[in-house]
Amino acid sequence: MTENIVKYPPRGRTRAVKRFLGQFLRDRGAQVGLVCLVFFLIVAAMPNMLVGPLQTAINATGDFLAPPSGQHLLGTDEVGRDVLNLIVHGARISLTIALLATVISLVVGSTVGMASGYFGGWVDTWLMRITDFFFVMPSFVLALIITPVVLEVMGRSGYILGFRLSLFVIITVIGMTSWSFVARIVRSQTLSIKERTFIDRARVVGSSNLSIMVRHILPNLVPQIAANGALVVAGAIYIETSLSFLGLGDPLQPSWGTLLSLAQRAGAASAGAWWYLGAPGVCALMVSLSFVLIGNALDDTFNPRRRAIP
Amino acid sequence: MTNSFPDKEPLLRVDGLSVDYGLKGDPLRAIDGVSFELRTGEAVALVGESGSGKTTTAMAIAGLLSPNARVSGGQVHYRGQRLPIDDDAAMRPHRWSETSVVFQGAMNALNPVHRITKQIAEPCILKLGMTRGEATARAIELLELVGIPADRGVAYPHELSGGMRQRVMIAMALACRPSIIVGDEPTTALDVITQAQILKLLRDLRSQLNLALILITHDLSVVAESCDRVMIMYSGRVVEDGTVAEIFAEPKHPYTKLLIASIPNPANGKKMIRPIPGDPPNLVNRPSGCAFHPRCPSTMSVCTTEVPRLGRFGHGRVACHLHPPLQENMVTVHA
Repeated sequence: MTENIVKYPPRGRTRAVKRFLGQFLRDRGAQVGLVCLVFFLIVAAMPNMLVGPLQTAINATGDFLAPPSGQHLLGTDEVGRDVLNLIVHGARISLTIALLATVISLVVGSTVGMASGYFGGWVDTWLMRITDFFFVMPSFVLALIITPVVLEVMGRSGYILGFRLSLFVIITVIGMTSWSFVARIVRSQTLSIKERTFIDRARVVGSSNLSIMVRHILPNLVPQIAANGALVVAGAIYIETSLSFLGLGDPLQPSWGTLLSLAQRAGAASAGAWWYLGAPGVCALMVSLSFVLIGNALDDTFNPRRRAIP
Repeated sequence: MTNSFPDKEPLLRVDGLSVDYGLKGDPLRAIDGVSFELRTGEAVALVGESGSGKTTTAMAIAGLLSPNARVSGGQVHYRGQRLPIDDDAAMRPHRWSETSVVFQGAMNALNPVHRITKQIAEPCILKLGMTRGEATARAIELLELVGIPADRGVAYPHELSGGMRQRVMIAMALACRPSIIVGDEPTTALDVITQAQILKLLRDLRSQLNLALILITHDLSVVAESCDRVMIMYSGRVVEDGTVAEIFAEPKHPYTKLLIASIPNPANGKKMIRPIPGDPPNLVNRPSGCAFHPRCPSTMSVCTTEVPRLGRFGHGRVACHLHPPLQENMVTVHA
């Protein structure tokens, strides 16, 4: 039987991963995005080592609204805090909120989308109507309404894992308002995958519905989920910044949005303190841009057909 | 067909099986009173046009009817026991362990993100209760059985050629040591040489493991190469059943005759393809009497009114008013 079999060198997962990374890293956008993201992740990982503990009005070291100088690289704010110090600490808060919100969004979106596409029928109808509700509702407006209500009911105090409770409210709100488009994409992919014969085969050999979804459908969805996940992060950063800018952030753990809000209230624009408004704004812009670039690069790498479109 | 094999209980006995597909309004009868028997180690080909019910028949036996299918009549006995073919849950112990399927289009039937050993091991874990290690060892054993070197087990489906993928499908079908394998056009997408290799593999495995094979195909050359018996289906009914030699040498039913006449044979100067005139029957509005009568060259008046009974004729069976069943001719079928 074996006389006609051509022997190929064994190829494994490492090889496939290498090939994928090679192609991914060739994308200029991915390179820029990754460098930028790694920089911000390092900053967010060890703020205390880089700039010391978070400055408050009590332990502020500088003058009021001093422009950038050798001592304060990014100047100071209206109570004399070093803006660089605030930015570096804000990176941690902003990235944590964005990433956790994305996790919630992807988990909820994938679960709803897969269940909807796989089971079909009335499950599909109801889940998709709920998804439609969140889809047509601008997530920013919904977050804007839910956040103050929840904050009012639950209060802002209390800590979970070193983060203020109010941050978790924002994380949950962003997560719950941005899952709908993930759910739609996952559903459409599930609809096409579940018609393929290997799903029937898995059912025939005795796999349960859950095991088919987790072991056979989900791995086939990873490209879509990963590429869109990166875009969800960018969206989450945008919503977080906007919510905080409108005063829904936590002043004790300032994110970039909170800093923008403080700068606005301190009259930084009219006082000509461009460093105070500019620094958090540029940071938020760069991080969301790098996630968008990475998302697009992932999409291009996973989906060869897209490369044909100029 | 009662008591036609008093000497020995066949492996599989199908009696008057009818399956409807639920459409809005009235149901569509996909197969109508199909009866046949299958012995251990026997290879039967189900031949017919699209919509003739060959796939529905085979899937009913394998317990793989789609959710909108309904068994409206008849029974299937496996090793003398009635199979609950319309009960999804009750069929679970039978499926794959006793009857497994080699699906067509292996690229779709293999999950692109799992290694092939893992996929072959899956039924061993779920059906035979093996541990992952045992199942992987069994998967490698099966790969070697179908002629794939053990070190290719780490490959993903897209790294294999079409023929090798079909071999993987066969290995997967053998995983739980079934007695019957249903081949759903297993060689359709393959080129002629690979097709011959796969058919040879199926033949070798059959004699080695004493497997019964139900081969669904519309390719008569595949049938001649790999089967003992042929059942010709038309419009959801079996119209002729006989050994390969009989069917090819002296077909009885006009449809079978035309089908065989339509194969071009350059050896004896018959280079043109002679199609059967007319269109395949509409299953929603099946012709009265014998479903083939609108296309039949020798239609009689009785053909339009009465459905011919599938009776014994010679060594096989035929359902045609030209060949009324001979009661006295009690020669054993499948001799």
